[in-house]
Amino acid sequence: MTVHHKIRKFFFPSLTPKFLIRVSLIALFAYLFFGYLCIPFTIQGISMEPTYHHGGVNFCWRLHYLFSEPKRHDVVTVRFAGSKVMLLKRVVAREGEQVEFRDGELFVDGKEIEEPYVRYPCDWNLPPRQVEENHIYVVGDNRNMPIENHHFGQASKSRIMGVPLW
Amino acid sequence: MVKVKYLLIGLMMVVIGCVIVITVFPREEKRVKKQFHLLSEWVSKSPEENALTMLQKMKNIGSLFDAHCELKVPDHSLSGTYTREEISTYAGSARSQASQLDLKFYDFDIAFPEKGVAKVTLTARLTGRSTAGEQTDDTRELECVLKKIENKWLFSQIEVVEVLKK
Repeated sequence: MTVHHKIRKFFFPSLTPKFLIRVSLIALFAYLFFGYLCIPFTIQGISMEPTYHHGGVNFCWRLHYLFSEPKRHDVVTVRFAGSKVMLLKRVVAREGEQVEFRDGELFVDGKEIEEPYVRYPCDWNLPPRQVEENHIYVVGDNRNMPIENHHFGQASKSRIMGVPLW
Repeated sequence: MVKVKYLLIGLMMVVIGCVIVITVFPREEKRVKKQFHLLSEWVSKSPEENALTMLQKMKNIGSLFDAHCELKVPDHSLSGTYTREEISTYAGSARSQASQLDLKFYDFDIAFPEKGVAKVTLTARLTGRSTAGEQTDDTRELECVLKKIENKWLFSQIEVVEVLKK
């Protein structure tokens, strides 16, 4: 078989039943894997700057919390009605904990929490509030904006879709 | 051989019949979705939109709503029952403050709890630019109730679901 023939066969394979079954299986696997387990998404917005930039591409790995619970400092995706549009946020507190912001510093149960991922200046003040049962408290890394303009707060654990792959 | 030929012709006729039935008599789910597509089309605004188109769209938006529609949109201080004229006027005033708007709906979950009533949960994303040049990007989960009145699905309730509670 000549090289030319091999190249031609690679790009234009003969449609044998075996080949069609193989292609169908690969297509089915890709549909299930990228549709339900490892969902591709593009980042739109600046709420997670500088950790994640606007326009970046990532994948939401859905099996991450199959046998574990979200921990503080984890970055998670929070769903709305489905998986087409999600929020990318960081977990800062878990159920039962008390969250508070004082002059831009995060306090959980009265103790100051170090957040090396927050690089931009922040002057937020938020009175203490308890995270409800089966909820987690999520905030973006970019807090260099008025507190009213930042989408954050406690979300039900059932809304956590997974984590970004990187 | 002749039998196979007739079998194939019969199969093709069944497929064509199904396509015709689906096209001519769309399922209720599709008709409900169409109302959202119309709402999206009429709320969206291009920078070149003239006054005549704007007036026509405002009028059209009102025609999608029931005579009295309940709105629960706390972020925009909308809470209570509004007539379709009030909704038209509000939409017109909101649109006039933007030079460009794009409303899109994702992740439809449509249920029919009783005859003539559709309950839809979905994600709505509104992007655009204000006349002052500021970027707008707002995503919300909505719970909508549509009622079938005179063979038309009309919005009778729209409520914003709180995904993150500050």
